[in-house]
Amino acid sequence: MPRSSLLSALTALRLSPRPLHIVMVGWEWPPHHTGGLGVHSFELARELTRLGHRLTFLTPFTGPFTPVDGVTIRFPGAPERDAPAEFPTAYWAGGTPDSPFWNATDGYNSWVAQVAGVADADVIHVHDWFGTEGAIALARRLRRPLVMTVHSTEYDRSLGHPWDHILRREQIGIDAADRVIAVSRHLRLQLVERYHADPGKVRVVYNAVRPNERLAEIDPKRRVVLYVGRLAAMKGVDTFLRAAARVVPQFPDALFVIAGEGSEYSRLLHLTAALGIGDRVMFLGKVSEEERELLLAGSSVFVLPSVVEPFGIAALEAMAAGVPTIVSKTSGIAEISSGVFQVDFWDVEEFASRIAELLEYPTLRRAMGEQGRWEALREGWPERAREVVSVYLEAMEAYRPP
Amino acid sequence: MKIVLYLHMHQPWRLARFRYLDLGSGRPYFDVERNLAIFRGIAERCYVPTLDRLTRAAREDSGFRVSLSITGTFLEQARLAAPEVLDRVRELYRTGQVALVAETYYHSLAFLVPAPELQEEVEMHRAMLRSEFGAAPKVLRMTELAYSDDLARFAEAEKFHGMLAEGWEGILRGQPPTMRYCAAPAPTVRLLLRHYPLSDDVGFRFSSTGWSEYPLTAEKYANWIAATPGELVGLFMDFETFGEHHSARTGILEFLSALPRMVRTHPHLGWATVDEAIAGPPHADLSAPYTMTWADQNRDLGAWLGNDLQRSAFEAAKKVGQAVRQADDPAILTDWRKLLTSDHFYYMYVGGHGADQGVHEYFSSYDSPYDAYANYMNALTDLRRRALERLGVPTLK
Repeated sequence: MPRSSLLSALTALRLSPRPLHIVMVGWEWPPHHTGGLGVHSFELARELTRLGHRLTFLTPFTGPFTPVDGVTIRFPGAPERDAPAEFPTAYWAGGTPDSPFWNATDGYNSWVAQVAGVADADVIHVHDWFGTEGAIALARRLRRPLVMTVHSTEYDRSLGHPWDHILRREQIGIDAADRVIAVSRHLRLQLVERYHADPGKVRVVYNAVRPNERLAEIDPKRRVVLYVGRLAAMKGVDTFLRAAARVVPQFPDALFVIAGEGSEYSRLLHLTAALGIGDRVMFLGKVSEEERELLLAGSSVFVLPSVVEPFGIAALEAMAAGVPTIVSKTSGIAEISSGVFQVDFWDVEEFASRIAELLEYPTLRRAMGEQGRWEALREGWPERAREVVSVYLEAMEAYRPP
Repeated sequence: MKIVLYLHMHQPWRLARFRYLDLGSGRPYFDVERNLAIFRGIAERCYVPTLDRLTRAAREDSGFRVSLSITGTFLEQARLAAPEVLDRVRELYRTGQVALVAETYYHSLAFLVPAPELQEEVEMHRAMLRSEFGAAPKVLRMTELAYSDDLARFAEAEKFHGMLAEGWEGILRGQPPTMRYCAAPAPTVRLLLRHYPLSDDVGFRFSSTGWSEYPLTAEKYANWIAATPGELVGLFMDFETFGEHHSARTGILEFLSALPRMVRTHPHLGWATVDEAIAGPPHADLSAPYTMTWADQNRDLGAWLGNDLQRSAFEAAKKVGQAVRQADDPAILTDWRKLLTSDHFYYMYVGGHGADQGVHEYFSSYDSPYDAYANYMNALTDLRRRALERLGVPTLK
């Protein structure tokens, strides 16, 4: 069989004739990530290594990096370690083309173009616009094909007011890439129509959600104090962490688990490090419904420390699962439950004491768990629906045609 | 027919919020200021005006009698918060128409704690009545009117001539509550029983506008007493009934003032102190193999030890007691005894028993029974640490 027809047959089967070396021109990488791109790169890279391929991941940021076997992470300055870029807390805030952020982006692209030790690469794969200039130069220098994944477009991100220089970097990437991956058919169509991409070279590969394997990393001997929710300022997760710091010295078996993602992630991660409790806190990221149920089933205490919380359904779910629950007084759930501890959202010492009390006294844990379960389940959606109907009836009764 | 009016005066030392993180901090368990503030409020609304009315009733009617029990924790707080209350008790006692009743100093569940706790607390209380009022009580009541055959034997051993108990069908077995009884296992101990329907008409129902007999006038009430067959009618209730549980607005104080006058309109009615009422032969003897109280629908210890939280806390307190005894430190012993006060366990009651729930919430000093339990256990854990430290036993926390 001629070589080219073997390759196309294998391509059809999605099999590779040999292990590939992929140079991925990326941006962020866990544990530091502020958005989906970091997670996407990480998950994709890990699966590629499982298929037997080797990966060099390029990032403008310094570590620490979550290690993956078969992935070499390179960043400007490494391995010389001459002060690589700090992970920015809010790079998405953009700024003007003269800002340090833009200088850093330019610097990253020049570094990518020159990066050494990747001569045996089989393919260059760039994500979005950040590193297209560097990736194009690198592919040309190495004479290797360029693949570009487009996760979103500047038109969509800017709600119709795109930055020209970002558009330009997107456009050159799409033009130069030998193949373009769009994460949806909708996006593919946009690339063809707005960016005039050759339809013949744009493929669709959807994003995926993996089962949260970190769940399995929770030591069953540890007692879990759980937060489930978005990582947003109004959720008061920093209170959860500060309380954890007060509790862990006295409870060596306590593990503080945070399930959820959001814009506060990197700030909370830094806070965890600053509090010196990195080994006692686990950030799980997003969890599925089933995973949340598993987590609740294995938790000793649930905490909802919100500054603002119109209702707090996460706490109600914890109660329904029989997990003793601590909520801030400002949460709506506090109005309907007597079986939860209620704490002022700013009172770190009180949150810590309540957590400690539940870890310390098994009778309390059991009694509050039972009471919470009963309270959460006594009135379900049928009851709520009846209440809404009664509001309809009231409105109809009160209504006077104009 | 003699009316035995017996009023119980008690305030507990309520705990401050003692957080888990406060363990080992040396912070006090009890919030003295808050307790005294509460006491001052009740003194103004209840103790002072009610004592004044009782003294006036005694002066105006030489036949009027009242019996009081005053806990040690009440006395401690009164001294600090409102000494005028104690002056008034002494003034009333000097009329000679009053009997004082013995009990545990700390209004405690000492009768469920290994000896010699009960005996020591009763002795402490006796010593207090002697030094404060020059009184030598003949009749014993146990916390929450708890009564059992064992307690009757204890009363006998401690040379008491009588005990107070709930007039509950469970031990009366068809006999009237309005007679003088004696304890089957200790016949020298006379039993005076609470007439709970008539007592609760005032204690619980007086201000219930939904009650078919509302409003209750002194005239109507005196008529009911007069129509009750028997020799003794025990009206046993909290002193705080007058002006606190029922506020002055309900007319409860006027009701109290008017009652002796209305009783005089019935020639066959009179008054007796508990000391006077125990004099005379018993109508029959009564057995109480199980502990009975004056609380709730079941008249058992359920209000204090009915759920897991309460039992767990009380068992822990008993266990810590061993270390406390060994530590032999007066400050540690005193704190432990303050933690045996029954009110702490009452606050851990979890609802669901209909009519009783409202009563429990009214008396609680916490937002929830879980708050009460956690706070109590923290204080107890800290006390245990102090006792063990004193004994030279290393502790983890």
